[in-house]
This record gives sequence, C-alpha cells and structure tokens, in this order.
Amino acid sequence: MQRNQGRREGSPFTGLGPVFVKELSDHLSSTRMMVLTLFVIVFGALPVGFTLQTLRQVTQSDQFLFLRIFTVEPEQAPISFYAALTFMIPLMAIGLGFDAVNSEFNRRTLSRVLSQPIYRDALLLGKFLGGLATLAVALTALFLIVFGAGLLLLGLPPRGPEVARGLAFLVVAIAYGGVWLAVAMLFSVIFRSTATSALCALGLWLFFFILWPMIAQAITTGFAPSQFRSVDEVLSLEAFGQALQRLSPGTLFGEAVIGLLQPETKAFGQFANLVMQQTRGMIQGTPLPFDQSLLLIWPQITGLIAGMIVVFSIAYIVFQREEVRA
Amino acid sequence: MRRLIALLALLLATPAFAADPPAAPAVKGLWLLTDYPSQTVRPGEVANIRFKLQNAGLAPEPLALSVQGAPDGWKADILGGGQPVAAAMPGANESSSLQLRVDVPKDAKPGSQTLTINAKGGSQAIALPVTLTIASETPAKLTMKTKLPSLMGTPKSAFEYTLSVSNDSGKDLTVALSAQAPANFQATFTEGYGSNEISSIPIEAGQSKDIKVKVTPPRDVKAGNYPVLVRVAAEGATAEQRVTLQISGQGRLSLTAKDGRLSGEAQAGKTAEYTLVVSNDGTAPLEEVEISGSVPTNWKAEYNPKTIPSVAPGEKKDVQVAVTPSDKTIAGDYVASFRANAKGESSNADFRITVTTSTLWGIVGIGIIAVALLVLLGAVARFGRR
Repeated sequence: MQRNQGRREGSPFTGLGPVFVKELSDHLSSTRMMVLTLFVIVFGALPVGFTLQTLRQVTQSDQFLFLRIFTVEPEQAPISFYAALTFMIPLMAIGLGFDAVNSEFNRRTLSRVLSQPIYRDALLLGKFLGGLATLAVALTALFLIVFGAGLLLLGLPPRGPEVARGLAFLVVAIAYGGVWLAVAMLFSVIFRSTATSALCALGLWLFFFILWPMIAQAITTGFAPSQFRSVDEVLSLEAFGQALQRLSPGTLFGEAVIGLLQPETKAFGQFANLVMQQTRGMIQGTPLPFDQSLLLIWPQITGLIAGMIVVFSIAYIVFQREEVRA
Repeated sequence: MRRLIALLALLLATPAFAADPPAAPAVKGLWLLTDYPSQTVRPGEVANIRFKLQNAGLAPEPLALSVQGAPDGWKADILGGGQPVAAAMPGANESSSLQLRVDVPKDAKPGSQTLTINAKGGSQAIALPVTLTIASETPAKLTMKTKLPSLMGTPKSAFEYTLSVSNDSGKDLTVALSAQAPANFQATFTEGYGSNEISSIPIEAGQSKDIKVKVTPPRDVKAGNYPVLVRVAAEGATAEQRVTLQISGQGRLSLTAKDGRLSGEAQAGKTAEYTLVVSNDGTAPLEEVEISGSVPTNWKAEYNPKTIPSVAPGEKKDVQVAVTPSDKTIAGDYVASFRANAKGESSNADFRITVTTSTLWGIVGIGIIAVALLVLLGAVARFGRR
C-alpha cells in the first residue's frame, strides 16, 4: 500500500493554535455548551447538596471528611456525586464532539479551512483539544463549586492529601471525558450525518451503561463451573468478570475515583475484599498513602488515557483517508 | 375395803408432807464474800473486785460499808449497782452484790497491800481483808506463732504467712497489726480465710485468731533474704514475729524495636530488615532465648540469631529480623507479631508493617501510554498529508 506521495513538509502541528482557539471560543460561546454545563451542574449540585446535608449530621471523626462529599450516597437520593459524573461526563463529551467534523463538512467549510495552511492533522487535533479544554473548564468549575460548597457548609478546610486526591480526581475525570470525546469525534468522522453520529455515540453510551454490565454478568455466569472447588476458583472467576466490566470506560472511571477518593480502598471487587478481611495480619480501615492509591488505580488511569489516544488515532486514520471535497 | 382406806389415807397424807417448810440454813449470820481475796494489779490500772454481802437467816438491817488500809494516793470506792454506795441492806437469806474499785496510781510501789472492807450494823460488824499484789513487770498478754516463718519464691510471687495471735490476758483486746518490711515491700493483713484487708482485729480473752500477712516484693527486687517483722499490739502488750522472704532472682524478658518505633516499611516481594532488641530487666540471667513470630500468610520472616544463648540482667541484645512480604501483597498496613521466649518468660511485640507495592506497574502503564502515542505518531507518519 505504498502511496505515491513524498514525505510531508513542515510540522503536522502547523495551524493547531488557531484551530484550537477558534474551537474553544465557539464551544464556550455556544448555547449548546451553556445547556450542557447547566445540565451537568444541576445534576452534580443535587447529590452534593444532599450529601452535605448528610455529612453535617456525621459526628464521628473522619480523616477524609472532605472527600466524602464526592463519594457518600446521601439519604435522600441514591446517587453520589461521582456516580452522577460517571453518567454525565460522557453525555457532555458526546454533546461537544458528535458533530465536530461532519458539521463542517455539511456546511461545506471543511475544504475551505483545509485550503488554508492548516493540516488535517492539526484540524482534528485542534478540534479534539478544544473540546477537551472546554470539558476541562466545565469540570474544573464544577469541582471548584463543590469544594467551595464543602468549605462553606462543612466549615472545615481540606488537608493537603485531600486536595491532592481531589486534583487527581479532576484529572481522571477529564481523561474520562477525553475518551468519550474521542469516541464522539470518531463517529463524527465516520458518518456524514450529524444525527447518525449522535445516535451512534449515544447508543454506545447506553450500551456501556445498561447492556454491558448485564452481558458481562451473563458471560461470567456462563463460565462459572457447576461447583466451586476452592476459593481461588471463585477469585479467578471474579477477576474474569471484573476484566470484562473494565472494558467499559465507566467502570475504569468508577474504580479510579473510588481508589482516589476513598483512601481505605486496597482492592476492588466485593469477594476480593471479603477474602482480604479474612487474611490474617492486615489492618483494616487504614488509609493508603496517596502514592500507593495512585499505584493501585494506575492501570485504570492508563487504560483511560491509552484508550483515549487509541480511539483518537483511529479517528485520525479514518479522517486522513477520507475524501473531504464535497 | 381395807385397801381402799389405806389408799385414802395415803392421798390425805401426801399434802401434809409437801406442806413441810424447806430445810432452814444450818448457819445463821452475816458474811462478806469474794471469790478471789488476793489479786494482782498493775500500776496505773483499776482493779475491780467483786464481793457479796450475804445475810443468812438474820433480820434485815442497814449495814454501813467502808474501806480501810488504802495507802496514800490510792483511791478505793465501794460500788453497788454501778453507783458509789455507803451502806447495804440484804434481806433475810439474800445477798447484795457489791464491787470494790481500786485506782492504783502509776507510781505504786511493788509489794502487797491489804485493804479491809468493813460492814457495820447495829448489832454486829464484819470485815473482809483483800490483798492486792502490785505486779513488778507487765505480764505477757499477747503471743503470736507461725508454722511457716520462711517462704521461698520469685519477685512475682506473693508471700503469705499465716500467724496465730492469742490473747492470753483476762480481757478482750483489739489488736493492732503492723509489719516492718524493707522499702517498697507491701504487706497487707487479712483475717483467716477472709479477703478484706484489716488493720486491727478484736480477740476475746483467752482466744486466738489466725491472721494472714501477704507480702508483695517489688518486681525489680534482687535475690536474697528479706526479713519482715510482724508486730501486734494492744493496750501496752505487744508481740512480734519475724518472717523471712527468700527471693530467688528471675529474669524478665522484654522485646522492643531498636529505636522504640514499632513500625516499619516494606515493599511487596522485597526483604526488609528490622532490628529488634531483646533485653533482660530482671535479676537473673535468661538462658536460651528463642525468637519467633507470626507474619501474614505467605510472608517470610527470618531471625538472626534465632536463639540467643544467654542474656545477663540489664543486658540488651540485637536481633535482626528479615521480613519478606509475598509478591502479591496488597498495599496497606499489616501486623507482624514477634515473640521472644525463654524458660517461663516471654515477651512479644506487635510490629506494624506498611507495605508499598512496586512502582514497576506504574512504569508499565506509562509504557502502554507511550505505545499508544507511538501508534498515533506512526499513523501521522503513515497517513499524514501534505
């Protein structure tokens, strides 16, 4: 598949800057962005408000009280802040990315842009980074609102490790948004119709959140032996089920966040934790230091970032091979 | 018919016999009586001498009472019914109980004094001489005995001595208990089989009671013999008994970390070294001290040395412990319990080990991201357009 084409001249990043800035300003001034941000903030504020009410009644001393704002399930609503984010971040990312390329194409502006000294590489990367930056701005704002509300209502400043864990949580959330942004952009490159692209991206979102846990459960049950002969067998089956679940970015995000925001987390999986408790010699309920928590969830973070890059690469390859002249 | 008359006569005769007056006393007269006309008193004490004025078959008449022969400084009173009285009047064939109360001064000279009690009536006068002997020295009134005056044990044992205290005097006493023990020794008294600690105990005249002395030596006492003087005292009478504690030395083992910090770090799968200190705070050397411990499942622990031949009192010896957490250890805090064992002595130290996992997987993760970026770069190189 040798192309009759010489090496490219100049950097592929030529024109990245203007595309990025334009994309960012378009996003930030768009009504869609306003609606999405409002949506996310409302969805985030509700659990946080309830959680803070619950936490204000907590009397026992807690080393990581501030982080509980993110993870505690309030009494009034069965959803914690991070669980709400697991749902909402993909929606926001899809909203930002589903028409990134094909709307330009439909407006017949793509060839006009590319006639400028801007590479396709730079166009796609600029659009991606613009979307990611928009997402980061929205999530940072949300994060600061939550932190501020926590300060105000708990009357307690967060400690250094809590701030570090909170910031790491923000980074993981942005990486999680990046995965879905890359997915949405992939569909926007593949399909010419924005509606099809949006539908496919949302379909994948629904698939991972509703169907995939059931399918993974069914597969795991199918592989289960008729009778367990040892604890190891149960553990290995659970590990297999977990591996299946982890194909969903939502699971990776959830585990990474739990590892970060609940410093007591030492292993994932219910049965694994049960066995750990029976393991002699371990002191339960002690928090891990930040670096150890980071090491624990490092595979999840790696999976998210690498997944984001891989999906973007696929979108890139598809885009490069496309005919852009309409 | 004759028999019937005889029975009737018998029945009539019986009341006649019963109605006879009782036999009148053989002697008639007036007496002053006392059980012990000669008694011993101690200077400074009060002697109470009970006596009776007995009237046998005479008509009652008032009899004036008086005491003669009391030396200077002595005070003698006649009491009747608890009150000083000057006269008594016993009925016919009756007696009056009286008491002679003599206050003997402290400086009374040894020897015998005869006091005469006089009773004088209109028709007769009688006298009762009473001899009081001043005791030259205090008679022993308390005695104390023990069967086992010497006990053996270690500084940890409790030494219990059973002492039998008898009150040999003629009156009830409340006996105060005390013990003179070396410094930091604790002595407590309990009654016979009771558990209450007591400081004094009442003993009736002529009776004896068992008391128990429990002596607790201080834990760091050196080997040797320690005498304890148990003393009982009541109203000027004392009794002493010396008991002995034969304490043999004992080693006391203690196990700590080198700098007192009972925590350490280890990396999963890698050996970490800790230094433990075995010391002997006791008074005798400890032989064959064995070091052992329990670590979480699949961990390894090695001790160098595993056995210490001897630890002298006050000596400290280092033990190197090499702990290897298993490869698959999850990061977190674990408890490893180390133990030092010698004959009859043991000490253990719980060591908290914070296990960290290797950063190797972190590097692998970065490698995966790098590979993904390389794929992207390859795609750029491969599909990049002019």
